[in-house]
Amino acid sequence: MSTPVHDLPAHKGSVMQTPVPASRWKRGRGSRVRFTNGLFKYYFLLSILALCLVLALVVFFIGKTAILTFKDISLADFFLSFDWTPEEDKFGAASIIINTISLTALTLVFAVPISVGMAILIAEIAPKWLKSFIRPILDLLVGIPSIVYGYLGLTVLIPLIREWSGENLGDGLLAASLVLTIMILPTVSRISDDAISAVPKKYREAAYALGSTRLQVIMKVVLPAASRGIAAAIILGMTRAIGETMAVVMVIGNTAQLATSLFSPTSVLTSNIVMQISNVEFESTWNYALHMMAFLLLIISFGLIMIIRLISRKRGDAA
Amino acid sequence: MKLFKKVSLVAVAAAVILSSAGVGSSVQAAGSVSGKITINGSTALLPLSLQAAKEFQRLNPKVKIAASGKGSVTGPQAVKKGIAQIGACDWDASTDVPGFKAFAGQVANKVAVIPFATVVNKNVDVANLTTDQLKGIYSGKITNWKEVGGSNADIVVITRAFGSGTRVNYQAKALGGGDIVKKAKNYKEVGSSGDMKTAVATTPNAIGYIDLVYVTGGDLKAIKHNGVAATVDNVIKGSYKVWSYGYYMTKGQPTGATKAFIDYVQSKKFQEGSLKKLKFIPISAMK
Repeated sequence: MSTPVHDLPAHKGSVMQTPVPASRWKRGRGSRVRFTNGLFKYYFLLSILALCLVLALVVFFIGKTAILTFKDISLADFFLSFDWTPEEDKFGAASIIINTISLTALTLVFAVPISVGMAILIAEIAPKWLKSFIRPILDLLVGIPSIVYGYLGLTVLIPLIREWSGENLGDGLLAASLVLTIMILPTVSRISDDAISAVPKKYREAAYALGSTRLQVIMKVVLPAASRGIAAAIILGMTRAIGETMAVVMVIGNTAQLATSLFSPTSVLTSNIVMQISNVEFESTWNYALHMMAFLLLIISFGLIMIIRLISRKRGDAA
Repeated sequence: MKLFKKVSLVAVAAAVILSSAGVGSSVQAAGSVSGKITINGSTALLPLSLQAAKEFQRLNPKVKIAASGKGSVTGPQAVKKGIAQIGACDWDASTDVPGFKAFAGQVANKVAVIPFATVVNKNVDVANLTTDQLKGIYSGKITNWKEVGGSNADIVVITRAFGSGTRVNYQAKALGGGDIVKKAKNYKEVGSSGDMKTAVATTPNAIGYIDLVYVTGGDLKAIKHNGVAATVDNVIKGSYKVWSYGYYMTKGQPTGATKAFIDYVQSKKFQEGSLKKLKFIPISAMK
């Protein structure tokens, strides 16, 4: 613990404050330190409360507008109908919700094995020069704006997909999930890398002493021990994937229909909102329905985060 | 693209300021009007609004103008809500258009002519489409280029999102009010003119539509509509029909500074000068 305030050497004060009696100075200083400590404590507390307030306001205001949707259409229409044709007053969001979930799932299917593999490579296997080469590169990749990834997807990836699959457009879930995979890869692998590097050395030494191979050490000891950190990395990657808009809009095709194949142009919540929100009237069901979609996005990402938190907690207990 | 636009805008502005420095001051009594004008709405008209605002503020230092662009329908909406004095819109929002009800009590002031073009990817060997053929393509009845005289390949339809002024005008003028299919395999929606250009340029067998000023470079080409080439001359002559006026919507007849500003935009000096340089067509050119 820190040194108690009254034990601190007071020579700085005694030099500056010669006219003031020592006892009075001491008391003044102590109370001043207490005051600053208290001030900072309340400042930080206030910051956190302000953050919570902002979050609550976001949820409240989006929710308030979103709820108005159900003045005009029923819950069943919104959640169970697959027909999103707002200009004809058909507001069925089911296909878009399902697309959002499948896009995120597909992205995780691509991204998690690759990025955790990369993390293992960096943390456990790679020689030092390679580590010091890959890590800064991954850090740099995190900072690239998403629209750049979207543009590369549109101009490089989609023509490749078109050629390879023989499709006419190439836009769709596959293109979007590949772009998202490349986007979240550095995030997930860097944080997983940190988690794996943080596993104490003695675990590995003990496992090797028992005669384990390197594969056994990594799979049976290091990964379980780092599983909570890796889960946190996946959460971060997933929230970025589910909320990503600009890159997805450019490669998904923006057609409000259920994705029946990996290559059919389709639409997810984020892309649908950003394509339409600027063109709708303020007080219309369409506007409310888009707010409802935003609210859903909030709830879905919140729910997914909770699920993964719970899973990682259980795993953490078992390990 | 944006940067390029900005740079060219600055260049045009500089040219105009230099050339008008001698003439401008004598034309209008400086500082005779004052007030605040907010312009909201169409992105297509935004370069024009910004340029006009710059010039108008030089002549009338007491007027403050703020212009922003988001989408055509936001213009008349902002006017209705009282957020803006001028709502820039690619269609006459005081009348009903497909999908949008008329904004009651608003007056449409013509400020420019915007031509639109049907564009195809460079690999498409069709050079002309009639209104009926376009209707068939956009409604999903014609799905192969060979049905309209091209090679045997699926047509990829690219369109703007509902609410785009370009889409409203294209639907009314080029498709004769025909429907645009909403759900199909080879169908894609894009959010802006820039996205449209990239999408058509990079997708083989694609067809789309865009403001004529965007048709540059070799990867996409404007095709003829009913046998008439999409050129500024043909628009002025009246033979090319796919164009529309750009409007400044106001709540009732414009008054005060707003009126002075709209008058300035409609003045011969601005129409024949800066407006032309920005590649819009002066309203006086249309009979």
